[in-house]
Amino acid sequence: MTRAVRIGLLVLGAGFGVVAYRAQINGLGTTVLHVPGPSGTHTVGPFTTSGRSFAVVAVGIAFIAAGAIAWSTRYRNRIAPLMIATGFLWLARQLRYSHNSALFTLFFLFGDLAYAMAGHVALAYPSGRVRDKWELWLVRAGYTSVLLFNFLILLFYDGNVRLHQFDPSKRRSFLLFWANDAVALKIQEIFVAFFYGLLASLFIALIVRRFIQATPRARRLLAPLLLAVAVAALRSVWECIFTFVDRPPSIAYNELFWWQIFGFIAFLIAIVDGLLRARLAHAGVGDLVLELERTPQHRLGETLSRALRDRTLEIAFWVPNRGEYVDAFGRTIVLPTDGIRAVTKLDSDGEPVAALIHDPSLLEDPTLVGAAAAAARLSLENARLHAETRAQLAQVQESRARIVTAADEERRRIERDIHDGAQQRLVALGLQLRSAQRTAGAADDPQLRKLLEGTIAELQVAVDELRELARGVHPAILTEDGLCAALEALATRSPFPIALDVEDERLPEPVEATAYFVACEALANVGKHSSASNVTVEAHRHNGVLTVEIDDDGVGGASAQNGSGLRGLADRVEALGGRLVIDSPDGGGTRIVAEIPCAS
Amino acid sequence: MRVVIAEDSVLLREGIARVLTEEGFEVAAQVGDADELQRAVKRTKPDVAIVDVRMPPTQTDEGARAAEEIRAQHPDVGVLVLSQIVEARRALKLFSERPEGFGYLLKDRVLQIDEFVESVRRVGRGGTAIDPEVVAQLVGRRAAEGPLDELTPREREVLGLMAEGRSNKAICDKLFLSPKTVETHVNSIFGKLNLPQAPDDHRRVLAVLTFLRA
Repeated sequence: MTRAVRIGLLVLGAGFGVVAYRAQINGLGTTVLHVPGPSGTHTVGPFTTSGRSFAVVAVGIAFIAAGAIAWSTRYRNRIAPLMIATGFLWLARQLRYSHNSALFTLFFLFGDLAYAMAGHVALAYPSGRVRDKWELWLVRAGYTSVLLFNFLILLFYDGNVRLHQFDPSKRRSFLLFWANDAVALKIQEIFVAFFYGLLASLFIALIVRRFIQATPRARRLLAPLLLAVAVAALRSVWECIFTFVDRPPSIAYNELFWWQIFGFIAFLIAIVDGLLRARLAHAGVGDLVLELERTPQHRLGETLSRALRDRTLEIAFWVPNRGEYVDAFGRTIVLPTDGIRAVTKLDSDGEPVAALIHDPSLLEDPTLVGAAAAAARLSLENARLHAETRAQLAQVQESRARIVTAADEERRRIERDIHDGAQQRLVALGLQLRSAQRTAGAADDPQLRKLLEGTIAELQVAVDELRELARGVHPAILTEDGLCAALEALATRSPFPIALDVEDERLPEPVEATAYFVACEALANVGKHSSASNVTVEAHRHNGVLTVEIDDDGVGGASAQNGSGLRGLADRVEALGGRLVIDSPDGGGTRIVAEIPCAS
Repeated sequence: MRVVIAEDSVLLREGIARVLTEEGFEVAAQVGDADELQRAVKRTKPDVAIVDVRMPPTQTDEGARAAEEIRAQHPDVGVLVLSQIVEARRALKLFSERPEGFGYLLKDRVLQIDEFVESVRRVGRGGTAIDPEVVAQLVGRRAAEGPLDELTPREREVLGLMAEGRSNKAICDKLFLSPKTVETHVNSIFGKLNLPQAPDDHRRVLAVLTFLRA
């Protein structure tokens, strides 16, 4: 719709509004409304001011204007024509007050369609389609009942009695078939009860249901709109009730009228506001392109979430070699399929790049997510590569940790094999040699006896060496009694004094082993190179991190580069997600600190 | 003297049994795991149970736990724990406050048959047999500070042998000293360490070990 057409529509609406206004003033403005109730009619008016008529006409023009605005946004769906049609019908409805019988007949018949259509607009907002069979049924019932009942009234009505809410005296129905005002009045009562009472109540119920079922984002957007339309519909229900029940003095006819006007105006403002918001969201997508350039990869989700006004939005990046989606930190994400969260997948040359997991209400404007995704595509591809790298890094990290754990396990196994296998056999062998020695002693062969004595001594040395070897591979005391015990044993055997400050608690095996080997290697270096006189070993756990610190006051100059075992230790510590810091200035002692994350 | 041997290596178990039999012991039972050991001790009421620390099914410390239970349930049965490695910390935990009728030795000490047999006898009589390695660790731990510095090398040697659980006579034999000299050393050690003189060997071991573990 071009701008000219929109302006033309508005001018037409305004002109029509003037006509409607004059019809209202002429037909209604100077008269008294006779509002009937069960215990007799009471009168409202005369309406000495033209305020009411003006307000009624303003609502109609507002519908047309809102429809024109809607048409100019991306909501170029059925909602915009529906709103414009509602506006014109609304204005046309006022022509039923005309004294011209043709106009009266025509607009008495069709005028109430304006209410049914306003309800239709509310139910169809914002997609332009009603949601399910209940809403469809209600809309159809609204249109049908208006036409049917008003047609029936016109068949019987000949202008001698006052109808509810409206006094068309002295107007003639062109459709008059059998003049019987009593029948016409009865039919109108049924109509009021059905349309203004029942259907309006059902309408309010459906609106409430919609609010309850809405997702948080949709609820935020819909709340003012639904409230306004419910207020407008409530007036119908009240007026229906007061057709059959005496109106309490506290609820004036006039007040309810203004409620309804207020409700409709608020409803339209809410619609236009919503449409402009959507347009702002699209404008936000434009800004997104600029903003994305400044956004670090891991905050892409936040930026998109802000641009699309969906706080729950998440980005899942596709990792081809894993065949799964991951988040910005490389953690696996399973795309939801429950319908509570919607998923929009983004492809590039047929290859998946990423998926947006978002509030389903975003899909009411299908171009919006697409536009945002298009704007973000480059950044998303970039971020996907980052996420993929992170995922690989995480895998490598996990496999490093597994390698360390497996190596420890292997060391433990070797230690057990040495003790329970080779060592055991050597001792048994030694015992057999002792028996042989005894036999040799009995046979009085001192030379053989001596030979056996020497063999057993050698065997003893072999057993001792094996024991030392096993201890170096993986000390049994570490497995059995933990880090503190193992370090105590280490300190006890050390040729130089070591001051220990270690908490006696059990930690996960890889952590204990890593901490032990760090201390072991550091102390071996102290013994070999540093000529230190004061050596301390401390190990403390704080906030889930075990810190092992080995200090000496020796010559310093140690580093992970110069081929010492420190590089291997750093690898080992890093494999568990920790770090090794070596502070060893020449001549200034050596301080080695290992920080190892440990869960327990 | 009756012994029960618990050791899962058949070769070694039979070797120990043979040695002990040749030395005049009665081997009342040979078993391969902790449950069998408990039953054998209950059934045969031996003077000494010789127990390997590691036994099936987990090969960790079944033997050590079985030893603790035997000491708790049968106080008159001596327990000699054999291990591939000895740790002072383990030793202290195992005999807790009661070194009587308790031994803790490296497994390969069985090759020094005379000493091993003497250790088994000592434990069987309610005495103590602590591995020299453990004693060395304990002495090493205390060496950095205090009164141990005041001991002469010979006195330290005597202290170690006392801590192993040896009697004066055994110390005499080991160091080729006269009983009187040993007596002098012992008195001097107790004086320097400020320990009360103990009336018998059991309490002497306890006093020395208590001093060393402190």
